[in-house]
Amino acid sequence: MAEIVLETKELKKVYGTQVKTQVLHGIDLAVRKGEFASIIGYSGSGKSTLLNILGALDKPTSGQVLFRGMDFGKMTENDLAAFRNENLGFIFQFHHLLPEFTALENVLIPTWIRGGRGRGKDVKKAKELLDLVGLSEFLNKKSTNLSGGQQQRVAIARALVNEPALLLGDEPTGNLDSDTTDQIYGLFRTINEELGTTLLIVTHNDHIAAKSDRVVELTDGKVSRDYSNLELGAEDAFRQVAPVYCKFCPHQPAHGGQSHLL
Amino acid sequence: MGFEWKVALRFLKEGRGQTLFILLGIAVGVSVQVFLNTLITGLQDNLIDQTVGTSPHVWVSGRNGFQETPLEASNVIRGNFLEKDTDLGGWEVVEQVLEERKDLTAVSPVAEGSGNLVKGGLAVPVLLRGIDLEKADGIYRISGRMVSGSPSLEGNQVLVGLDLARENEIGTGDVVQVALPDGSSQSFTVSGIFDLGNGTLNGSWIFLDLGRAQRLFGLGDRISKIELQVADVFQAEAVADSVEGRLEGVLAENWIESNASLLSALQSQGSSSLLIQVFVLLAITLGISSVLAVSVVQKSKQLGILKAMGARNASASRIFLYQGALLGIGGALLGIGLGIGLIRMFLWGTAIQTGVPLFPLDPTLESMAVIGAIATVASTLAALLPAKRSSKLNPVEVIRNG
Ligand SMILES: Nc1ncnc2c1ncn2[C@@H]1O[C@H](COP(=O)(O)OP(=O)(O)OP(=O)(O)O)[C@@H](O)[C@H]1O
Ligand SMILES: [Mg+2]
Repeated sequence: MAEIVLETKELKKVYGTQVKTQVLHGIDLAVRKGEFASIIGYSGSGKSTLLNILGALDKPTSGQVLFRGMDFGKMTENDLAAFRNENLGFIFQFHHLLPEFTALENVLIPTWIRGGRGRGKDVKKAKELLDLVGLSEFLNKKSTNLSGGQQQRVAIARALVNEPALLLGDEPTGNLDSDTTDQIYGLFRTINEELGTTLLIVTHNDHIAAKSDRVVELTDGKVSRDYSNLELGAEDAFRQVAPVYCKFCPHQPAHGGQSHLL
Repeated sequence: MGFEWKVALRFLKEGRGQTLFILLGIAVGVSVQVFLNTLITGLQDNLIDQTVGTSPHVWVSGRNGFQETPLEASNVIRGNFLEKDTDLGGWEVVEQVLEERKDLTAVSPVAEGSGNLVKGGLAVPVLLRGIDLEKADGIYRISGRMVSGSPSLEGNQVLVGLDLARENEIGTGDVVQVALPDGSSQSFTVSGIFDLGNGTLNGSWIFLDLGRAQRLFGLGDRISKIELQVADVFQAEAVADSVEGRLEGVLAENWIESNASLLSALQSQGSSSLLIQVFVLLAITLGISSVLAVSVVQKSKQLGILKAMGARNASASRIFLYQGALLGIGGALLGIGLGIGLIRMFLWGTAIQTGVPLFPLDPTLESMAVIGAIATVASTLAALLPAKRSSKLNPVEVIRNG
């Protein structure tokens, strides 16, 4: 068994001070190195909340997050910032590029933050990644002049530029068409296989979930299902996910479809 | 270049309209400061120059006192006076002592008395001033301000003021009659006409040789006073005090005492100009602060992303501090340029009619540097509050809300 990269213990999150809403009710999760896991669940089940905590952007109300045994709770704000910069790649549901910068510059920003002065090396890396996501012709285009799918691909390149050990994605294909979604899924696979990056992707897309190595389902802030697709056939894997959603979605396309309900 | 600079510059560059507006705002403020500062300084220098530029700053006469021979041996040197007046006896010694002082730029003995210029049955009151032309030039620059004739006081030659000459139709080479207080009448040859740039002096002064004046007014070896110019005009009072301390029995008066109202006017002008400048600066600071505060809100998404990618809170503040500093430097430079333009325009505008500017204005590099530096510091400080907000911004909120 591969090394555990990320681990949570009894993770709880309560929002609000006056009116308290408990969103996470004790999450225990262990993500192994090189794993491509997806997180699924109904809207409001706490997926984003969990991911933000795993990405050291938010703090749990109680419980622990450990990255390679390192406890987030014991790190200072600056430590956490440096940690995010060096070890994490984050892809948000909305691409979140900086509109003031070009595609290439957006990809380079994490290297700037790292204090990278070895311009040549970083630029080369950024160009390689943009090439990988098929955008080598759009390097110097302002991010606002790119299509939604192109922007999302820039965001993926940006998340990878510092060669993070862990890539977190919160519905990274949530607002893309099915073809682009498939392309991006392919990209995740490539990254996972070629760079050995661990991926944890929140998704509403049945096909992505079915094609990932592992599916974690959240229901009302608890892990309700957690199974490995590798042990199932592709058909079974899809059937595992599909029934949950198909109750609400009679027009589910046969292939590459995307649920619009969640 | 740190990434904070890159981001700050890019934010400014991409917010073109906003950046231009705020730059213009700072520039206008700074240009007003540069212009006002130069104008007030120029005006004050000009007024002071007009008041004391070519007139004595300190004048030394005898204090109503006793008659004694100068005690050259001792440290205190006593003048030699008549009891009833303020004439200065033993003045050569006094003059010598004054000549040795390094804080004086001109020392000129004067023997003067009043008289009446008699012309065509009319008597025009005049002041006959006996001088040593070379020494008096140190104060009045008579030789350089001749309108006609030549600066010469040989024998019975005199120099006559421009207005006096005009009103009485006197020309160079003319012989004039002057009635003296003792009833006698004296004739002089006009060797030249001078213009001291002051109507009162030009309308009543006649210069003649010092020795001749002493004789005409029966002063013997005494003179009326010694006139001085001081290197630093504002030190006149201190110089007068020290002259009185060094020379017993003399009275040293200075221009500051006799121009108290002018000086207090200058002072209040100076402080009101300072007040205006402070308010201009305050307006600039508030302007930048509010624009940047709005900008923090506008850029909160970008800041959230930068933080999510590992930018520290301090970096997020720096982005705004740098923007403040950049705006300050840019605005200050632009403003200094604009201010110099305003000064040029003022000089040109006031010179249209006369051909010469109302008064000279030259902005000093030092004052512009100070104004520019203050504007830059103020702009950076103005960014403090927005920077603080930027540092406190929570990335999760931005990311959650798309
Ligand atoms: N800042 C907050 N304050 C209070 N409640 C919050 C806050 N953020 C999220 N919640 C609540 O927590 C619950 C879980 O939210 P979360 O965003 O994690 O859901 P999700 O699973 O990502 O949903 P979706 O699929 O719609 O993105 C929701 O009920 C939401 O209303
Ligand atoms: Mg969500």
